[in-house]
Amino acid sequence: MTRTWTLIAAGCLVLALAVPRAQASDIFPFPYKIEQLDNGLKVVSIPLGNPDIIAYYTIVRSGSRNEVEPGKSGFAHFFEHMMFKGTKQVPRPAYDDFLTRLGAGTNGYTSDDYTCYFVVFAGRDNLEAVVKTEADRFLNLYYDEEMIKTEAPVIEGEYLASVSNPGRRMSELLRDTAYEAHSYKHTVLGYLRDIQDMPNQYEYSQLYKKRFYAPDNSILLVVGDFDHARLMELVRTYYGPWEKSNYALQVPVEPPQKAAKRAHLPWPGKTIARLAIGYHGPAFSDEVTDKAALDLLAAVAFDPSSPLVQRLVREEQKCLSLTAGFGDNRDPSLLVFNAVVKNDEDLPYVESQILQELDRLKREPVSDKDLTDIKSNKKYSVAEALGTSDGVAGTLVIYINLTGDPGTINRLFNLYDRITPADISAAAARYFKTENSTTVTLTGGGVK
Amino acid sequence: MKGLPMKAVLLCLAAIAGTTLLASCGKSISPDQLTSELLPVPDNPLVSFRILTKIGAAEDPTGKDGLCRLTWSLLTEGGSRLRSAEDISRAFFPMAAGVSLSLDKEMAVFSATIHKDNLRAFYAMFKDMLLDPGFREDDFNRLKTAQLAFVEKTLISNMDEQFGKEILNLMMYDGHPYGRYESGTVESVQGLTVDDAKEFYREHFVRGNITIGLAGGYPEGFPEEVRKDFEKLPAGFTPKLALPPARTPQGLEFVLAEKDTPGTAISMGFPIALTRADKDFFALWIAGAHFGEHRQHVSLLFQKIREERGQNYGDYAYIEHFIQGRDKFPSPNHARQQQYFSIWIRPLPNSNRHFVIRQALRELKRLVDEGLSEERFQLVRTYLLNYTKLYAQTLDERLGWRMDSHYYGYDDFLAEAAKVLPTLTRNDVNAAVKKYLQAKNVHIAVITPNAEALKEDLVSNKPSPIQYANPNMPAEVINEDTVIQIYTLEVKPENVRVVAAGEFFRQTGIPGGR
Repeated sequence: MTRTWTLIAAGCLVLALAVPRAQASDIFPFPYKIEQLDNGLKVVSIPLGNPDIIAYYTIVRSGSRNEVEPGKSGFAHFFEHMMFKGTKQVPRPAYDDFLTRLGAGTNGYTSDDYTCYFVVFAGRDNLEAVVKTEADRFLNLYYDEEMIKTEAPVIEGEYLASVSNPGRRMSELLRDTAYEAHSYKHTVLGYLRDIQDMPNQYEYSQLYKKRFYAPDNSILLVVGDFDHARLMELVRTYYGPWEKSNYALQVPVEPPQKAAKRAHLPWPGKTIARLAIGYHGPAFSDEVTDKAALDLLAAVAFDPSSPLVQRLVREEQKCLSLTAGFGDNRDPSLLVFNAVVKNDEDLPYVESQILQELDRLKREPVSDKDLTDIKSNKKYSVAEALGTSDGVAGTLVIYINLTGDPGTINRLFNLYDRITPADISAAAARYFKTENSTTVTLTGGGVK
Repeated sequence: MKGLPMKAVLLCLAAIAGTTLLASCGKSISPDQLTSELLPVPDNPLVSFRILTKIGAAEDPTGKDGLCRLTWSLLTEGGSRLRSAEDISRAFFPMAAGVSLSLDKEMAVFSATIHKDNLRAFYAMFKDMLLDPGFREDDFNRLKTAQLAFVEKTLISNMDEQFGKEILNLMMYDGHPYGRYESGTVESVQGLTVDDAKEFYREHFVRGNITIGLAGGYPEGFPEEVRKDFEKLPAGFTPKLALPPARTPQGLEFVLAEKDTPGTAISMGFPIALTRADKDFFALWIAGAHFGEHRQHVSLLFQKIREERGQNYGDYAYIEHFIQGRDKFPSPNHARQQQYFSIWIRPLPNSNRHFVIRQALRELKRLVDEGLSEERFQLVRTYLLNYTKLYAQTLDERLGWRMDSHYYGYDDFLAEAAKVLPTLTRNDVNAAVKKYLQAKNVHIAVITPNAEALKEDLVSNKPSPIQYANPNMPAEVINEDTVIQIYTLEVKPENVRVVAAGEFFRQTGIPGGR
């Protein structure tokens, strides 16, 4: 992709203005601009013609990955809740009142690598109020110890709301078993014991805020009906005083797994059996082929239209579903195959079929047609998500967290285009080794 | 359009094939004709289909609960006569295409959004899936097994919140066509055959029951082509369901589903004689948003139970059946002739279940007795006027909302809301609250362990002090708690049924009868 970069200076702020030209073949077709304030806050701006709707996203590059200290699992998610407590200038009731009058679609969510806050609203005239109010809560968040004690049980409530879902518990067990050192060992909600200790974490929450809720660890992503120059003027005004953190997080490196692992979760009530097989895989990259090759492998071999899924789900009817999930993460993460198995006694058979398919993929290159089809599938999937301001922001947020640049999605798709069947076989051989695997099963009714 | 009888609306729609809609229309045509809903957006690279049938789970024949879902699922996942499900799945894959089914009591919609590059290839298969389905025994058995597993295991064991909502539905619609669970019962689904599905399709997938919805950048002449294909369906229509009144509870009626679970899930509600078609809807909508807007801080219940007391993840209320669509917005095409008011309390610590039941019912009574303040009325009205601008952002949503508008007799419901809401007063809202809501006769479904103990607590009105992790709760909260914990609920022992969770959905209705 040809890129044109223009550097400008404005007042005391050094702004890097990127104006990439979209190529006809790019999956992401819209022009965008990237600027950075001298406190490190990056602003990705995508003005669109979508009438009257603006999606205003704040990405804090801190998720459950940042929970490296014992007893702090789930803290990124907990802090996300605390971010709605208001400031001295705009206390919680006034903040709620503002959002209510605005009629905004607003919330936050936490993932492995980042926490995202969004305000989707109508009316470009409301932009200044949104920038001002959002900046205020990021710069001046205020809560006391009592507020943290009241909010903490809400997290336990969220845990309780999910506790009847065996898929959630499987994911929890798989991570806990597969990882030894890295903070991906726990889920975003965290361990129950840590959740129950959250009321006592006021002091740590202040430290957490100082470390991670800072401009050099945050990105604004704004998409929709607005003027870029006006947006930047507002951002400079309201986010300019935000102080840098300069905190350098040390995330433990996961040692190579040396032997296969296995765990079982007996479910107290009646439920359908489940199987998950995870392999330690690569981190996201828009340059190195491994992760992209494995993405394509997952789709070729485990999409609902693939021969294995067709056989196990439709022909033999052993499984109700069989899927693969490879997240795009900052650090090496798990490649996971999940099966929902009709009868408990078929768990070993389904497991053997998945392993045989992975072995086959090491030896037999996928066909050119399959590869062409999956590339097409990925492109049309993205194209269909880009129909609204919020759709554009929601699609890009994960890539912007990874690299800070919407162009990543174009580089990734260009990389997909260059992946060959041999690349896929090579990646399969590198990662799908027995000693690199963790298998967890779940059966209901107390029957193991 | 408001006030035009529904029949006339449908007739107008039927007469229009190539234009957006609802120009003035004088001629009447037979109700067994296709109807169309077109939303052309020429520059859009996408095309959305919503093929709506006005046949939902309430049309399940007696003893065959779940047949509608299984039949319509067979259209989306069972392939066409010419192409197997596997073939279609493979052909859809490079297009990133798929057809989804959304089913409600009185309608179902088959929807898909496709890039216009692939429109022709997609449509050739899509139309065959709906108009010439495969009905293969293998596909039927596969889908039947999945549906049975959901009813028998997943719903009861893995989805406490949904389980609670479905028990509430059984309580409200006992003996009523809405009382048939969309996925059926263990007994009914076990008995279904592929011939039942063929018969259901033959009887109900007929011209008069279908609305063709199309939106986006489709080419000129495409709607006519689609219409021509669907005209090949047999003529005919299913008469609109003549629904009996839903059962009003006699006092506070509880069903406690005994289940070993760490969190208690609660759903409560009662039928109301109001739908979007009524002029009072807009006023009650403001009251509903004030009291329990779905996943928004403006909700009073959310503020009282979650924000002030940290009891659970959320607490909401609805003045019509609500299914969450994209983000937190209501999903379109769940329109009904009859609606209900409900409160959804998300799982909370078992130790505080009695307190929160008291709290929710007390707040409901306060809403009925005191209504909204002028300040809250103004705030919530402003909120709705702005928030509803976000409801229909995607092509698919715009089309769905347009279809619902016409179902309820509007040209554009959201535009109508923008006109009507500013004309309302606080008195209108509070009058609507008094007319449609009350706190005396309420169905309450609870998924909880030690249900007999809860029954005793409820019947005896035993005080239920709340337990907090925070020993220093604000004085105003503590003071209010002292009132809530002894708030009297008139609960008769015969109005509290304790049923083992595993007994539900084996047969139609509440296990053991009402």
